[in-house]
Amino acid sequence: MSLNIYGKNLDSRLLIGSALYPSPQVMKQAIKASGSQVVTLSLKRQNPSEQSGQQIWRYLQDIVTQSNGYLLPNTAGCKTAKEAVTLAKMSREMFQTDWLKLEVIGDDYNLQPDPIELINAAEQLINDGFKVLPYCTDDLVLCQRLFDLGCQVIMPWASPIGTGKGLMNPYNLETIRVRLPEATLILDAGIGKPSDACLAMEMGYDGVLLNSAVALADNPVLMAQAFAQALKAGEQGYVAGVMTQRQTAHPSTPTLDTPFWHQGH
Amino acid sequence: MNIHINGQAYPLAHEARITVTAALALYFIEPQQSTFAVALNGDFVSKDDYDKTFVNNGDSLDVLQPIQGG
Repeated sequence: MSLNIYGKNLDSRLLIGSALYPSPQVMKQAIKASGSQVVTLSLKRQNPSEQSGQQIWRYLQDIVTQSNGYLLPNTAGCKTAKEAVTLAKMSREMFQTDWLKLEVIGDDYNLQPDPIELINAAEQLINDGFKVLPYCTDDLVLCQRLFDLGCQVIMPWASPIGTGKGLMNPYNLETIRVRLPEATLILDAGIGKPSDACLAMEMGYDGVLLNSAVALADNPVLMAQAFAQALKAGEQGYVAGVMTQRQTAHPSTPTLDTPFWHQGH
Repeated sequence: MNIHINGQAYPLAHEARITVTAALALYFIEPQQSTFAVALNGDFVSKDDYDKTFVNNGDSLDVLQPIQGG
């Protein structure tokens, strides 16, 4: 079973960030270990005398080439639709892709997406031919509006970026899954543990996007492998069909022919 | 005139305006060796337009390069 992102089939359901790793070498090893074929990156001002941007660019190009993968530029740091649209156009020229992780932040404290600016930016970008993957809150109606605009992929947060708090509101996330069965849903941001990713997949999410949970682990390469396995376990669990919860206990072992010492109680 | 590139002031004594191409030559030692994208006063400028887009007094140019991201 593969993940479909705007017509591209991917073997891995994990999308991974390229930031915060202890070194570029560890980043490369961890991304490879994750099996991910979609790697996020960004554009920023840099000192022209430093060539770090060029090196990172070449490194990431190598990574996605080796994995037959794709780059997914983001609009991190943008606070208005206008800023996001400008950065998106710069990214499209720079990275030669019309895929875009659309981020428009509305609050500095929890880096919560601004739903009004997000909708505005998504509409402009879709009209301009972009394939938008919006990072949004776990608000059902917002997700519905983004889907109606033409976002085939929707990326609600688990919890604020970089917190590692996991799924703050599983009910909201499950409701979005139930109400938007046609949307490709990627759980993005706030993932801390492999079990968080597993839980999202058990809910029927199509994939998970994370960065800090791997990059800030004591052993990022091992954690990347753990996430790959957690996603696979969760996906198989969802496909296999989870049993219905019951209110009362039911013995697993047959009660017929129970030994004599239980008789009479 | 004064222009800003990535927030840094570049005073130009003689020119009334310069092209984006000329501005990039002020910023980079070798622009052709670098990977970047440009916005002028917050609006995207495509590579095809560098020679025909002008930077005027007080304008602000953003020159962005790839960086790791989440």
